[in-house]
Amino acid sequence: MKNEILISESELLKCEPIVLSLKENETVQINISSNDTSYIFVRDFSIGAILNIHIKENAKLQLSFLAKNVFDKAEINVDLEKGAFFASYFADFSKDKEKLKVTIKLNGEGSSAYWHLASLTANKDNKEFNININHNAGHTIALSNNFGVSKDESKLIFSGKSAIYKGSHGSHTRQNSKIMVFDPSCDAIARPVLKIDEKDIEASHGAVVGRIPEEHLFYLTSRGLDESQAKRLITYGYLKPITRGFIDESVRNEIVELIEGRM
Amino acid sequence: MAKLVIKDLHAEVEGKEILKGINLTIEQGETVAFLGPNGHGKSTLLNIIIGHPRYHVTKGSVYLNDKNVLEMSVDERSKAGLFLGMQNPVEIPGVINSDFLRASLNAHREKPISTYNFYKMLDSSTKELKMPFDLATRSLNEGFSGGEKKRNEILQLLMLEPKIALLDEIDSGLDVDAMQTVAEVIRKEQEKGTGFLIISHYARLFELVKPTRAIVMINGKIVIDGDPSYIKRIDQTGYEFIKTELGIEIEKDEVDMNKVSIGECGVKEIIR
Repeated sequence: MKNEILISESELLKCEPIVLSLKENETVQINISSNDTSYIFVRDFSIGAILNIHIKENAKLQLSFLAKNVFDKAEINVDLEKGAFFASYFADFSKDKEKLKVTIKLNGEGSSAYWHLASLTANKDNKEFNININHNAGHTIALSNNFGVSKDESKLIFSGKSAIYKGSHGSHTRQNSKIMVFDPSCDAIARPVLKIDEKDIEASHGAVVGRIPEEHLFYLTSRGLDESQAKRLITYGYLKPITRGFIDESVRNEIVELIEGRM
Repeated sequence: MAKLVIKDLHAEVEGKEILKGINLTIEQGETVAFLGPNGHGKSTLLNIIIGHPRYHVTKGSVYLNDKNVLEMSVDERSKAGLFLGMQNPVEIPGVINSDFLRASLNAHREKPISTYNFYKMLDSSTKELKMPFDLATRSLNEGFSGGEKKRNEILQLLMLEPKIALLDEIDSGLDVDAMQTVAEVIRKEQEKGTGFLIISHYARLFELVKPTRAIVMINGKIVIDGDPSYIKRIDQTGYEFIKTELGIEIEKDEVDMNKVSIGECGVKEIIR
């Protein structure tokens, strides 16, 4: 499986971008019509907000979040019909306590989903991202990439389950969770779970939680970067790929500034 | 003119003494071929000069002119003009090669280089090394072939212009054409006055870069510091003459075997 599944940028540029802001405890339902290609940018995501999305046959949706405000107890629920495609990029630079639950249901034959999360926790932030992907039909594909950087006394948890249910033959699923830990008092947990009820499938997961490897720091410092510059460069490289999910150049620049600012 | 002076240097790794009293001077403008069997401390010496945290100096000194190198942090050694072209450059996912090169370059300058000048410099340097430009836009060393990694090391050398460059088997993984290209870059840097200490097991690179001296390390000590004719001699006859002419027994690079127990499956395998 490739490391990323994308809608091409040229295809996205053709569609009219929709910018959404969800208020506290607000529930929003979005339906993507068959064969449509849509791009939705969520600029504000609030406490208790629920986003329900239904993607009809052969439709494509890219959903990108720039989360700067508290969105604790928020939910994203996505259902995909036959041949539908969903890509989501969640750039999290919020502060404080957060718990996000994401459920992606691949209900239609040949539907596929890509989830990419970049989260930075610092100070006493306490965040949990619970990402669940259900393969309910044959030949469905899902890839979940979660990247985190944890500093100070913060806590960051990546949890969730990728399940391939009976009848989902020929399906592929992959979960990647990586958290880079900066300080000894951080608490970082990557807890991927795979549930497999079908044969003739491919399923894998990888979870890495750890400090920056000494050899990486040595290499960069041996070229003149001091330790803090080296750490910044590594962190930047770790989180920056999320910008690929945002079409607007000014939003990409804003994310880069947020990474640099919070480092 | 920069001069690197190493005196009575002793060092250990994980409690094992590797370097047992190194005395060596390298000046800018010199190219020193660094020879010796595997496991006798050549790479250790280079890593200690540049400040690898795994190695511990127990005695001795390293000075770059009047500056005590052992008291400097790793980045300060680089800024002072020392460079190590590594044998196995690490892969750092996510860090874009050109971002890293620009940050390194800026760390050596008072004023940051402009975007235009940086890309102009990068373009001419990659062309000089016959490297595809896209290597600069990829993650640092990630997915690079062995030869590409070595060229990337030389690219950094070319851009950072150190006073003394230490090259650890920079020719391994290079095909004939790539070795010629890398040697041409080294020759240009020699003309600019860069000093080189080069580890290699093959005479081919030395034929191309024409060292001014050759040193041989055996058992953690430099036992020969002489003219470049030793390169040819060692290439043709090996290190046997060290024992017969200098009376030095060459220690074997032995690794203790771990304690093993043969379980039931192992026993069955043996019986069969």
